[in-house]
Amino acid sequence: MAPAWKAAGLTYNKYLEVAARVVRRSLKDDIRLAAERRGQTELRFAKWTSGKQGDLTNVADANAVAMAEAGTPKTS
Amino acid sequence: MNSLRIARTVLRARPAAIKAPLLQRRGYAEAVSDKIKLSLVLPHQSIYKSQDVVQVNIPAESGDMGVLANHVPSIEQLKPGLVEIIEETAGSKQYFLSGGFAIVQPNSELSINAVEGFPLEDFSIDAVRSQISEAQKIAGGSGSEQDIAEAKIELEVLEGLQAVLK
Repeated sequence: MAPAWKAAGLTYNKYLEVAARVVRRSLKDDIRLAAERRGQTELRFAKWTSGKQGDLTNVADANAVAMAEAGTPKTS
Repeated sequence: MNSLRIARTVLRARPAAIKAPLLQRRGYAEAVSDKIKLSLVLPHQSIYKSQDVVQVNIPAESGDMGVLANHVPSIEQLKPGLVEIIEETAGSKQYFLSGGFAIVQPNSELSINAVEGFPLEDFSIDAVRSQISEAQKIAGGSGSEQDIAEAKIELEVLEGLQAVLK
């Protein structure tokens, strides 16, 4: 049986990210501060079309949009 | 008659057998180590680097399992949970991993890859409790499908943590 997060459009990568984030937040304060820095992403990308650079997009934001589209469509 | 003849040849053959080098009598089982080489690796740190241990208990997606030397080669997806490492002299050590993979290689080697892993004494039970109530609110709320799914993943991890920290 596929896990529930998969039905919501989340990828395995995202599942691991969420699990790792919650483990970091559960640490004692002194270790937590050093560990939480590892969870930050600042990676951005831009699509180039016909020699022109497109908008710079944060990878995390783009992933969130993609996963929302991959989830089960709203019945409304 | 025949048996007598065999007995005589055996008697004659014995001195030669004694002279044979002792090394040849060594069996296969004695030569093989009963330890498993464990590598427990995070993206930022190696907790174990091909170190000999006796047994490793892992929370695989297909069920909890213990891995000893000469285990069948396999690849197991790990749930977020407790890994127990039984060393020969230092006793057993416990790490909470956030999920990853365990790969049993044919030559008694075990590689565990995870995103985060810490010994139990590094966790704060108060932080776990406050996060559980927060995640429960989101999981039962009216957020997006993805937010609810994330909160449910968090709850699963936190409840596992709470159970082992008690």
